Amino acid sequence: MSLSQAARDRIVNEFIPRYPSKRAALMPSLWLAQEEAGWLGPEVFEEVGELLDLHATDVASVASFYVMFHRRKIGDRLIEVCENPSCFLNGSDQTYARICDRLGLDAGHGGHGMQTTPDGKFSVRPTECLAACDYAPVVQVDLRFYGPVHVADVDAFLANMEAFSIQGKPSVSMANGPQAIPVEGWETHAPPAPGSAA
Amino acid sequence: MTQTPLAADAPIQHGAGKPLPWEPVLMTAVGREGGRFLPDYLLRGGYQGLKKAVQDMDPDSVIKEVTDSKLLGRGGAGFPTGVKWGGTKRNPGPRHLVVNADESEPGTYGNRYAIDADPHGLIEGMLVCCVAVGIQQAYIYIRGENLYGAEVLEHAIKEAYAAGYIGKNILGKVGVNVDISVTRGAGAYVCGEETALMESLEGRRAQPRIRPPFPIEVGGGLFGRPTVVNNVETLMCVPHILVRGAAWFASIGAPACPGPKLYTISGHVNRPGVYELPMGTTLYDLIYKYAGGMKRNQKVKAVSPGALACQLLPGTDLNVQMDTATLTRPPHWHPPFGPVGFGAGGIIVYGEETDIVQVVARAAGFFARESCGKCVPCREGTHWMQDVLGRIAHGHGRPRDLGILEDVTRNIGGRKTLCALGDFSVNSVASALRLFRPEFEAYCNGHARSSAAGSGVPVAAGWS
Repeated sequence: MSLSQAARDRIVNEFIPRYPSKRAALMPSLWLAQEEAGWLGPEVFEEVGELLDLHATDVASVASFYVMFHRRKIGDRLIEVCENPSCFLNGSDQTYARICDRLGLDAGHGGHGMQTTPDGKFSVRPTECLAACDYAPVVQVDLRFYGPVHVADVDAFLANMEAFSIQGKPSVSMANGPQAIPVEGWETHAPPAPGSAA
Repeated sequence: MTQTPLAADAPIQHGAGKPLPWEPVLMTAVGREGGRFLPDYLLRGGYQGLKKAVQDMDPDSVIKEVTDSKLLGRGGAGFPTGVKWGGTKRNPGPRHLVVNADESEPGTYGNRYAIDADPHGLIEGMLVCCVAVGIQQAYIYIRGENLYGAEVLEHAIKEAYAAGYIGKNILGKVGVNVDISVTRGAGAYVCGEETALMESLEGRRAQPRIRPPFPIEVGGGLFGRPTVVNNVETLMCVPHILVRGAAWFASIGAPACPGPKLYTISGHVNRPGVYELPMGTTLYDLIYKYAGGMKRNQKVKAVSPGALACQLLPGTDLNVQMDTATLTRPPHWHPPFGPVGFGAGGIIVYGEETDIVQVVARAAGFFARESCGKCVPCREGTHWMQDVLGRIAHGHGRPRDLGILEDVTRNIGGRKTLCALGDFSVNSVASALRLFRPEFEAYCNGHARSSAAGSGVPVAAGWS
């Protein structure tokens, strides 16, 4: 596994001129390398380092800081389930457990790390907030967002993910346009407004 | 997609013929066919603010206009934008602009929708800033998870280059050159902190820098140059300020921090989502009038007014105005931890059925995993919080654990860390302990309320 010539050209001709320092081209270069191979191996650190005048250990230390750079081979598809409060309140733990169960993985023993199915088709891990809390619980598959995936939806989701895609969709509240419209008859349903602020 | 009429003059009618109280400013592209592309942006009056800044005004009067509008940064710190621009301009060039699109505070998601809907709105705001402050290089740093947003921005930048809004001699004015590029992060919450973000942009581990020097100064900014770091929403306000005037902007909502605001609300509400409303809208209105009230008609137990890094507000405090000024002043101030905080307006609403111990255990886990590891209080302390709270949440808490927890929060919070994110990591834990102590005590005395505690229900977080 090593960088293609096309990737090298792109790093040299596009990424390096974009910034005043060669080093700053590191983030886009690592992304490009990961897109090619699916993960970042030691050779990539050497090769990217050579192009950017950095030592391979330096490149590796940067890559290791960011959770989205994979320094081990992962499954063909990476499924990540948000577990932060907004998704948690909407049942993301159950979604995560069901996805693991359907793929033959043990949700309890994965901890916060990544688990990969024995056939190498899927990797699964919990993740932090994906910034789509109105579609909670949110699932990210290969950097695309899907939601809401409730526990009862997991089978349908695994069978046809695209049906759950929220890419490019407006917020739940803006389905009819950008106007914040008061809910019809909200005064009758809402509890009385509290007195003065404490 | 349905076409939304753009009523510039006539107010849009709705329901029983009542005029709507608030006409959106920032999200007008939503629901329009091709709203995110240049032709539609021009139809909506796009790039008029830039035209004004380049052709009709001199740079200093642009900065004065933004200062007069009283626009405060929307990212959380609430620093006056015009003052930041003016301060950067006083320092020698070359200078840089960095757009912080690394929105990753749990519960905050306005930027993602703003970029998806209207990338040119952001680009125009950036260009105005560059023209005013004398900047030729601008960078957008967008979180790695938001690949779609990065693609939308790349496309919009290409369109704007082709139309002559970005590049050399902008709008035909000789010597006004601006280049804009997009850099993707790779999953680190700490990149939302401006100096950590700049470290990441420079190709390093994203660890915050020691200040001073501040980003606006030589030696403190990106590549050592004076740098303006602005939030997406802040910059999107700027073209509207130039077109409609500082007085118009200053008249919207809360007088101390005016303007339109993208509130994002999630958790136990019936209609979660992004609501564009004037700054200073009350929490009660947001929850009941707009977000459709609480799921299963529960009462509000608590609210995180600005996502996880803010202190919890009790459910009895719904009359509070949601804006930077109100939530950073007494009585919303709890020593030694400081203000409740407004953050970027990401509201998480917890209903009565919420097990608050489980929520803050999760918050502690988040901050422990996302601590960058540079300064000791945050690196060590967040893991202590995670361990103690994990123990409590799994039903193995001991009565003395609450004392340990308080001690740890006091040793992280209260300006003991290098960056604000470390400081704020204790906010939800400390405020939950203050507001809901009996629930923690019940856990520690073997009366956990949640079915999750020790019952074999899988919990995703990695507590041992």
